[in-house]
Amino acid sequence: MVHRVVARIRGLMHRSQAAAEHDEELEFHIEQEIAANVARGMSAFEARRVALAALGGVTQTKESVRDIRSVRVDAIWQDARHAFRALIAAPSFSGVVLAVLMLSVGASVSVFSIVDAVILRPLPYAQPDRLVALSEPERTNGFPTGNDLLVSPQEFFDWRERQDVFAGLAASAWGEITIKAPGEDFPERLPTRSVTANYFEVLGRTPLVGRSFTTENEVAGRQHVAVISHQLWLRRFAGDRNVIGSQLPGQLAAFEIIGVMPPDFRDPDDTAEAVQVWIPFVPPSDARIRGNDFGYYLRVVARLRDRVSVASAQSRMSGIMKDLAVEYPRWIEGRVARVESLDSTVTRAVRTWMLMLLGAVCCVLLIATVNLANLMLARGMARRQELGVRAALGASRAALVRVLLVESIMLSVSGAALGAGLAWMSVGYVRASLPADFPHAADVAINLRVLAMTMGVAVAIGVALGLAPVRQFVGATTARFAVGSQRASSADRGAVRVRGWLVIAEVALAVVLLVGAALFVTSFVRVTRIDLGLDHRNVLTLRLRPLVRPTDANPGQAPLLRTLDRVRSIPGVELAALGGNGLPLRGDLLTEDFSIPGGVADGDIALNQVSPDYFRTLRIPLRRGRAFTDADTEKSQAVVILNEHAARRFFAGNALGKTMRWKRYGERTVVGVVGDIHYDGPEEPTRPQAFIPIVQTKTSAATLIIRTRAETNNVLPIIGQAISAEYPPGGVAPLHIDVQPLGHYFGELVAQRRVNMRLLGLFGLLGAGVALVGIYGVLAYLVAQRTREIGIRLALGARPLVIVRSVLALTGRYVAAGLFAGTLMAWMLSTLVRGLLFGVQPHDPAVYFLVLITVCGLAALAALVPARRAASVDPIVALRCE
Amino acid sequence: MPKTDLLQGTLDLLILRILALGPNHGWGISTRIRQMSKEGLNASQGSLYPALHRLELNGDVRSAMKPSENNRRSRVYTITAAGRRRLEAETQSWEQFALSMKRVLLGE
Repeated sequence: MVHRVVARIRGLMHRSQAAAEHDEELEFHIEQEIAANVARGMSAFEARRVALAALGGVTQTKESVRDIRSVRVDAIWQDARHAFRALIAAPSFSGVVLAVLMLSVGASVSVFSIVDAVILRPLPYAQPDRLVALSEPERTNGFPTGNDLLVSPQEFFDWRERQDVFAGLAASAWGEITIKAPGEDFPERLPTRSVTANYFEVLGRTPLVGRSFTTENEVAGRQHVAVISHQLWLRRFAGDRNVIGSQLPGQLAAFEIIGVMPPDFRDPDDTAEAVQVWIPFVPPSDARIRGNDFGYYLRVVARLRDRVSVASAQSRMSGIMKDLAVEYPRWIEGRVARVESLDSTVTRAVRTWMLMLLGAVCCVLLIATVNLANLMLARGMARRQELGVRAALGASRAALVRVLLVESIMLSVSGAALGAGLAWMSVGYVRASLPADFPHAADVAINLRVLAMTMGVAVAIGVALGLAPVRQFVGATTARFAVGSQRASSADRGAVRVRGWLVIAEVALAVVLLVGAALFVTSFVRVTRIDLGLDHRNVLTLRLRPLVRPTDANPGQAPLLRTLDRVRSIPGVELAALGGNGLPLRGDLLTEDFSIPGGVADGDIALNQVSPDYFRTLRIPLRRGRAFTDADTEKSQAVVILNEHAARRFFAGNALGKTMRWKRYGERTVVGVVGDIHYDGPEEPTRPQAFIPIVQTKTSAATLIIRTRAETNNVLPIIGQAISAEYPPGGVAPLHIDVQPLGHYFGELVAQRRVNMRLLGLFGLLGAGVALVGIYGVLAYLVAQRTREIGIRLALGARPLVIVRSVLALTGRYVAAGLFAGTLMAWMLSTLVRGLLFGVQPHDPAVYFLVLITVCGLAALAALVPARRAASVDPIVALRCE
Repeated sequence: MPKTDLLQGTLDLLILRILALGPNHGWGISTRIRQMSKEGLNASQGSLYPALHRLELNGDVRSAMKPSENNRRSRVYTITAAGRRRLEAETQSWEQFALSMKRVLLGE
């Protein structure tokens, strides 16, 4: 055995040498033979002819020696060429297979790259499983996400002092800095985190260049140092290692660059917009004092000490929180400390979603595989004659299997390559359509892991499909193939049964996908149709943020009001208003503590400073009393407008003329009540809101809200001129401006639903389409198999309608079984995604009814052509064809 | 005496028999088969070389390129121990087979 392998390998490696030796051997033989023939008295010519004839052809002999010697590389190459020709010769078969593979592999690679980036890849920190997130959610909430993960600095510092279960406890706060180098026209806004000095140490990462912060930097006056991201380093400093010590030209203060992080470093709460700069967190002067102002803005991450589990850390932190609750009863009230693995807090919000997408795309891949198996079976049947002839001519069973395997692997690998190409083109689009707060969105890309998975899946599909027709030949005799009979034998009936199961599986999976698609499309439609209480269409918003505080030289609010006046007079602008303290749908909002004289209620309320046209511009209806007018000035009566929610909650719906008091805005009389709006988005409840005239405040930062009549792009430059007239570049009040249509913020809020709807809708269509092809293929095959039988029946007087009915009945049985199984699966699976739905129940009867009707329609469509073909069988032709 | 084509599988046996007498090259083997069978057996030369290479892959013979009488190199085959064992076993079974054939055909 060993020398056989050695000889073959030698034959392969020293191919040319071995061939030369064989030639030499044969030449020697021929010479000897000629010499012997001459010795027997033949002429030289005759001697040569006889010698060659005796050998039976030199070339043939060489060939047969080589066949014995060499490994079957040649043979496989030959198979490949043969397979290629065979696939070209059947363009519709190859085309369908390639298209199905391309679409399904493309879809799964795209989804897998998202899932990989978001929940499969380990966090880029040292020993990420030892990292936990600490939060103090209100007890009523379930698992904290988003803002519930935020911690107040007071708690953070007390935790840090009292705990003994963590090796380190670090905090970070969101922020941004605006930089503008001397020669540049426009300032650049950089997403920033202010972090405690031990932040990088706790995460277990060190800068690539330079150093990170020390506790010295946490002191006011020494905090103007920055660690920058690898990306910023490359972009602004061309990757120069001497960047350490140079200045980052922030508009409020310059920061000395002390370090550059490695390219793969990400913050735990990273989103699509990667952090570019880290600066020291300087605790505010009241960080240790528990006064009246609640402020939760820190994300806290900690590294567990060795041999401390999450559970024991949790119980220790709960104890500390209980002590704090005794010391500061009003402050801690209703909050608990929660410790959980960092990984789960990062991805919890999207984990179910990701798993669902993965499941859906697996369904698509499954349907595709089932369908391809079906196609290969049909093709195997069609080729039995060819394969039979090959077998009769001496091809071994192994050789036949090899031919089929090479063909299907070739097909599946090229399909997968096309799919990878498709995914490569679409992944950028998918990334761009993800919600802005999607974790690790910046990392979504096709990488080696994803490609390896693609190729693995492709080869697995290839082998599986290649083996499907092979099974048909096992146990069957060569002679049977060669005859190529159309008569149904028992083996054929087995194949028919297999196909029946395949059709049922396809229909079932298609039902699951379509139910998913219908549920998520319905959710999206319901979300977008919800009455927000305002009209976000044709509204342009410009957030104007002065970069310096108002001083004597910088008048503050006056330029803001003058800008509004200028904008209002622009043709194409229907209405314009100012709103301070946040904008509906944008996700920013300030609440202010208030009290009601007479003391019936107090609490906090969302508060906006607005100009008179605010309600008309956003089309928020006035319910009672009056809106603000130009008569509300700095010197007139201090007034406030509430929304219905606030009026109901604080004044039992009878708010007009009542008084409320704010620490900062004094006592105010309620003069109007407006309709409620879904300030935080369509899926969030309304909240109590108050509005006060902007002129009665000192606000110098606000958002310009403009309802436009004309095309936004035409108006925008004129608005820009109006703003720079009041805020001249290089003047005393540098300004940062964010321009977005209000609809953009709405789009962000429904982005996840939109992606979901598109992907699942696409998968549903894909699944249904592929299943349609599958049903058609099987029925067409069955009709072809029974052509003879149908011919006989027609010849004996059966009416075509009866034939059609029998084909349809067969379809009906398969489809009914598939529908039943699919509905059952969808029924169970949909409850898992209940949390992702909106305005529709997982078992919504209308959805299921619609899907069932659709699938029945598709099945009827698929059965139509084969049924007609069956009815139009010509008895004479059918009987003669054997 | 008319020449007889070889029965399937007997060529290997003949080759091993010849090589048991001593190392030889392909042409020598085919000549010896004709000689020893007194021109009665005709080993097709076209099938001789594939058979030799097959035997070598099986480990029944070894081969080496060696200079020959007329100054050309030739591949010389030598029987191996495994080849001798196979020769012995197949000779026995061949004799058994021939005996049985004879009994049937001659009605002994």
